[in-house]
Amino acid sequence: MGGDRGGGGFGRPGGGGRGAGGAGGRGGADKKDAGKRYFFRRRKVCKFCADKIDYVDYKDVKLISQFVPERGKILPRRMFGTCAEHQRKLTVAIKRARHIALLPYMGE
Amino acid sequence: MSDRIYEILFIADPNLGEPEVDALAAQVQGLVEKDGGKVQKLEKWGKKRLAYDVHRHRDGYYVLLAVEGTGALVKEVERRLKVMDGIIRFLTVRVDEELRKAERRKARRSLDEEKRRGRGSAPARDTEGVQP
Repeated sequence: MGGDRGGGGFGRPGGGGRGAGGAGGRGGADKKDAGKRYFFRRRKVCKFCADKIDYVDYKDVKLISQFVPERGKILPRRMFGTCAEHQRKLTVAIKRARHIALLPYMGE
Repeated sequence: MSDRIYEILFIADPNLGEPEVDALAAQVQGLVEKDGGKVQKLEKWGKKRLAYDVHRHRDGYYVLLAVEGTGALVKEVERRLKVMDGIIRFLTVRVDEELRKAERRKARRSLDEEKRRGRGSAPARDTEGVQP
């Protein structure tokens, strides 16, 4: 969802591009909810937060591979909207999975 | 110091038969128990395709062990795994702290949710009553 949009807009390799698209999307979601009710403003985009995944397991290839493109790279946070904490955990999980050959270091 | 929990995941040679893989797993289990550790879980994932070639193998036989023990135990087991024939890759990860943290977070979240529900429901009913 958000990741797809971000990917289209900021497909350049490496850093450089600002995460304006991602931030805008999040801001919009926030505003919509804020208008409804002050208390329920806490809208999360991070998949791990939304699904309440506390432990990012390197063995869960199905989950992790959603955040690894074909090429095998670990993408910056703005692509998937993961929060800082989960991105950190995700990165470690991906690296572990790579070592044990569950994920490729480099895709085709 | 209390013992830690580790996960040892290793990949066995896919050319080995089922009984040989079982023997390997038993061997590792024996190593753990010899050094005063406990095997909490032994899972065989079966033959899986590797994401990339490891020692010219395209497939591998994954075996996962959850082990309770000390750091010294892990050191010894890893040393043995390194020289064991038929094991093409292994990974040891300490999981107890992470799992404990996750547990704590889960507990706190359910507590928070309860609180929020208790607080949120009352004003919601009030506004509904006022509007019409």
